[in-house]
Order: sequence, then structure tokens, then C-alpha cells
Amino acid sequence: MTNIAMNLSSTDQARAPSGLSSIPFATRRKFFLVAMALPAVAYVIALGVFPLVKGIWYSLYEYNLLKPARTHFVGIDNYVNLLKDADFRGAIANTVIFTVFSVAIELVFGFIIALALWRDDRFNRVCLTLILIPVTITPLVVGLIFKGLLLADYGMVGYYLAQWGLTDPRGLFATPSTALATLIFIDIWEWTPLVALILLAGLKALPGDLLEAAAVDGATAWRTFRSITLPLMLPAVMLALTLRTIDAFRVFDSVFVTTGGGPGNSTNTLMVYAVKEGLSFFNIGKASAIANIALLGVAIIAACFILMIRHFDKRANGR
Amino acid sequence: MTFMKGNFQKFATVCAVALMTGMAQAADKPLEGVTLNLASMNDQFSAVLAQIAPKFKEATGAELKVDIMDYGSLLTKTTADFVGHTAGYDLITMDIVWAGQFAANGYTVDLNELMKRDAKDLDSADIYPKLMEALGNYKGKQVAYPFAGYANVLAYRKDLFDAAGLKAPETMEDLVAAAYKLTDPAKKQYGFVANGQKGPAVAQDWMQYNAEMGGAILDKDGKPALNSEANIKSLTVYRDLFKKAAPPGAADYDWGGREESFRQGIAATMQTWSVGAPGYYDPKTSKVVGKVAIALAPRGKGLPKIYGIGGWGMAINADAKDKQKEAAWTFIKWVTSPAIQKEMNLAGAGSYIRKSTVADKDLNAKYPFLPVLNEVFENGDGDYRPRIPEYPEIQDILGTAVNSVLVGTAEPKAALDAAQEAAAKLF
Repeated sequence: MTNIAMNLSSTDQARAPSGLSSIPFATRRKFFLVAMALPAVAYVIALGVFPLVKGIWYSLYEYNLLKPARTHFVGIDNYVNLLKDADFRGAIANTVIFTVFSVAIELVFGFIIALALWRDDRFNRVCLTLILIPVTITPLVVGLIFKGLLLADYGMVGYYLAQWGLTDPRGLFATPSTALATLIFIDIWEWTPLVALILLAGLKALPGDLLEAAAVDGATAWRTFRSITLPLMLPAVMLALTLRTIDAFRVFDSVFVTTGGGPGNSTNTLMVYAVKEGLSFFNIGKASAIANIALLGVAIIAACFILMIRHFDKRANGR
Repeated sequence: MTFMKGNFQKFATVCAVALMTGMAQAADKPLEGVTLNLASMNDQFSAVLAQIAPKFKEATGAELKVDIMDYGSLLTKTTADFVGHTAGYDLITMDIVWAGQFAANGYTVDLNELMKRDAKDLDSADIYPKLMEALGNYKGKQVAYPFAGYANVLAYRKDLFDAAGLKAPETMEDLVAAAYKLTDPAKKQYGFVANGQKGPAVAQDWMQYNAEMGGAILDKDGKPALNSEANIKSLTVYRDLFKKAAPPGAADYDWGGREESFRQGIAATMQTWSVGAPGYYDPKTSKVVGKVAIALAPRGKGLPKIYGIGGWGMAINADAKDKQKEAAWTFIKWVTSPAIQKEMNLAGAGSYIRKSTVADKDLNAKYPFLPVLNEVFENGDGDYRPRIPEYPEIQDILGTAVNSVLVGTAEPKAALDAAQEAAAKLF
């Protein structure tokens, strides 16, 4: 490293007959850059690639930490069994429903809030700060707070909801038809402000002259929104969508502390299922298989969004 | 030279004195310098353990660090410690149902040898034999030493029973009838409460009621028999009680919610671990002080009088170094000694293993329900929740199945049929 750096700084490289300086400058430069990137690459390999490969490897084994004697290679059996497993299919369905509904509603509300806070004045700035509070609370704590509030027999909110007949007397979390919806509501409560913040940043970056021109031409607010704001905002929208979808897909904390996947299996999500298999039963093979499938899901979603962002970007820039 | 000589003599004297004091101290406190790490369940005894740790240091010289965790973290952290052979913890509180798993994998020291060696220090004849067996013995291996015995008891509202002209229920049939009679939703008064929450909470409570109604989780050969006639019948009774006689939110109660509903006075009967009982007598947390009685849990008509027991053993990590193991064993002997057991329970640990502690005058004056505990421990059953290596999975399967029945998404037979199919795959 030191050698290369020293050589790079020397000016009479062409004349030096031996050592590193006999290598052409371009090659040496490449070498130097690779060397500089090595620590970061090593870091990614150690903390990203290695666990990933190991996870794929484990998923091909019957491997339970509590039953070491039973460990043996099973090929893709873990995956085949999962696809046959009604609980797993239920977990995928719950995860997809949770993701689609929470992200879609967050996007709509986030857009409305962003438009409302668009004008840069003191009131809006204060509002923005205040609505960001939920984002700063750990999801696990949010789950515990809502669980306490919504208890049917002595929760501050749940008691009255049940008393007035608005919910099942068992309470929102203990009723199969409302438990998932309640979790979606909690996610919306917590993460809509973040979506609003991203979209607000997008709005602030819009070219003012276009909007002014539209106003001069007598375009209605709706027309301006539809033809100018929305198309130009698409990259920001996509960014918010990508972040939130990936995050919602891996939902765990709030579910774990409120329903634990219940009642029955009605709020069992992929991550809750994987954690239960991995950290309650130490069934590493099966847990790895579940996590890998979830990872594949996230990867597909992310790839789709990235392609779409690129597409909209090209269109917006007229290329 | 003389000066030097004089000084040297002084120095030598000081050294000799220091050495002798040190030796005397070492004989006095043989474990000076040793630190023991204890992974403890967060239960009533854990705060008391942390409180008495300095006394152990005073007596032996060893420092005791108590790491208090919830049930899930305790299981995860200690299992990781065992599997990775990291010996992070020397002592582990072991739930009664982990015994099979610990024995199968040799995670903890088999205490039989040490118990034989130190038999005269242990006074183990004073420990209830049922607890000695249930809280650590698995197929001849003593994987933990009994430390905190809990008795399943019936807590009921004496005032409501008296007002309705009812006697304390002796059979399950009496209990069910009383539960229905004492339910009046208009007055926010319910006859029954139990855990309904998906997971260990509902599984463990139902297994208790199931055993009392004549059901069993395993058949005679030790294989799962979840969908037996008796189990289906008992689950149907359990569901009906939840539907018609329990607080509406009970389908989502775990131990905390269940105890709270009883302390708040909305439930007339509740089966519970004896460890929670001191809480009903505390006016700071309980609205039912003076209205509660603790009785033996009922059994189905004609069934033998045996009662559920649970609780915790104290185990020594098999990966710990020999010196640590010896120190840990010293701690176990100390903490289960009659004097310390009494002291712990006077401080509210609610954890009993010794006949002499349960019969103790001072403790009986403070906790009037101790004779019930004696009866339970003498006729205890620690296996209604099977202590086999597959227990965690079976508990999980039942935890989902029973909860599905309680919230109305499955019928008892269908739910238990599916559970049986899943459980059979584990063997």
C-alpha cells in the first residue's frame, strides 16, 4: 500500500526501470483503487455475503441446534415442505396484504399531508416537526403502546370501543377479522409522516417556473396536479414506495409484541414465522429457508421499483 | 546494616502477618475472587435473588451476578450459550418443562454425584419428593436442583361465592357450574378467567384444565395423543367457558392480563400459580383484598386427587470450568438451605421446595394459604405438561390450535386433529 502510494506520487515513473513503476500508470491506479476499496468489500463480504451464503447453505439441511444428532443434508426439502405448509402460505398472504394496504394508504395520506405542508411558512414547519414524532418511536414500543390502549377490558381506547359496540367485545387484537387491519393501522400511524417527508422534499424540488406557467395559462389546481406535479413527482413517489414496501414486507416488532401472530394464525407474517422457528425452536434449516424466501420477495419488489424509477426518470428527462 | 536488618525483620513480620490473615480469610471464604453469573427468569424470586447476593458473598466470598430476563430471552440466551459452548452463565434457572431438552443434550451438570457426595449438607429429605423429581430429574439424570416450586391452586372470590350460597368448588363440574352462575356481564362480573392468548399462555392454561378434566397430551407410549376424545371434550368445555363466563378480552390474556382481571375484581374464579397469590393481599395492586380464598384446584368427578406443579430448578452449565462448577454447587446448597429458603420467602419470593418452609410459623402467619401448597406438593403432578425434548413445539402447536378455537376460527375436533397431525411429525 505504502509502496504504491509513494510510487504514485513520484513524477519520474517512466524513467524508473524496476519495481512497481515498471507497471503502467493506469494499471497501478486501478490497483490502488481496488486496494482502497478492499476494506469496504471485506466488510460487505463478512457481514452481507457470508451470512447470505451460509443462510442458503443451512436451508439445505435439516439442522436444529437442539437436535444436533439429526443434522443431515436434505436438498430443497425445506422449501418443498414450506410450500406445502398451510401456515407458511398464510404467512405469505398476511405479509402481502399487510404490505399492499399499509403502503398504499400511507402513500395517499402522505401525499395529502405533503401538499398541505408545501408552502414554506412557520406554521407548516412546526406541523412537520410534530407529525414526525411517531417515526422517532421504536416500532416495538409503538406496538406495546397500542396493545395497552386497545385492550378490551381495561384499555383506555379499547374499553370504550367495545362498550359502544364499535368492536367485538374481545377487542381488536383478539378478533381474527380485525387484528391484521389494526396492525395495518398502526403501521400507517407510524410511517405516514416519513412518506410525507420524502414527498415534501420532492415537492420542494419541483421547478417553480413550470407551475407558474401553468397558473398563467389558467390551469385548474387539479389539472396542474395531474399533468405537472404528479408526473414530476414520480421518482420521489417511487423512492417512498421502495423504502416503505421493503420495510413493510419485513414487519416483525409490532406484530410480535401485540398478537404474536394470532389470534390463530391470522396475523402470522413471514418474519414472525422465521423468528419463531429460528429463535424459539432453533430450527435453523427451516428458519433459513423462510428468511431466504422473504429475501427473494424483497429482492423482486426492489428490482421492480428500481426499474420503474429508471423508466420514469428517463421519461421525465425526455430521454 | 543494622538499619537494613531491622527493616528487613519488620518487613518479614508484616509479610508473615499478611500471609496468615490471608490464609485465615481464605479458609473462611473459600470462594474469594470467584464470580458466578446467574441467568434468572424474571419472576417473583429474581429480585429476591439479587437482593440476597451480597449475603452469599459475605458467607463464601464469591460474587453473584444475577441477570434477570423474560422467559423468551432466557431461553434464547441460555440456549445460545449452551450450543456455542461459551460458558457465559454458570448458573441457569430451568423451567420445569425444559428438563427433557437439557437431559437429552447434556447442557447442564448431572448433579447426582455431587448430591451423593454432599448428602449430609443437603437435608434433602426435607424437600418434597415430587418437587425433587419434577424440578430437575429427567429419566434418572438430575439436570437441575429444585429451587422454586409453584403449586397450581384455585383462587376464588369468597364474598361472591358466599353471597350466591355456593361452596368452594371441589370438582371441575362444580367449578363450571359456579362460573356460569356467577357471570353477569351487565355488572362486569365474570365467573371464570384463564389465559386465551395464542402461544405458551393459552397452551399451558388449557393443559392444566385438560388434565383436571381427565385429558392427557401423551398416550401410554409417550407419543402425542392430542385429539383424544377426552381432550376434545375438555377443549369444548374450555371454549364454552370463554364464550359465556369469561371477561370478553380473555381470548387475548396472557398471565399478566389474567392476574390483573382477577385483582381488578372482574373474575370470580381463576386457577393460577401460587407464586401470584401474595399479590391479592396487597392493597396497592389489588381491589380484592380480604375477599379472596385460595383452595385446592378442582378435579373431574372420580379422578384421582393429583394437582399441577410447576416452577424452576437451578442448573449448572456443563461448559463452566471446574472451579466455577464447584462454586455454583456451593451456591445451590446455600440458596436451597432451610434458613435462606425462609428468608427468601419472607421477602416475597413465593418459591417453596421444603416441607419445613411451608410449615414455618412466621411464613404461615404472613401467607395463610401455605397448607394448600403442602397438599399440592405432596400430591403433585409435574408431567401434565410433558417434560420431553419436543415440548416447545407441542406447546406452540397447541397454543395456536386452542387459541383458534377460542376465537371461533376452528372447531375443537378439527383444531386438535390438525394439531395431532403436526405433533406426530416431531417424533
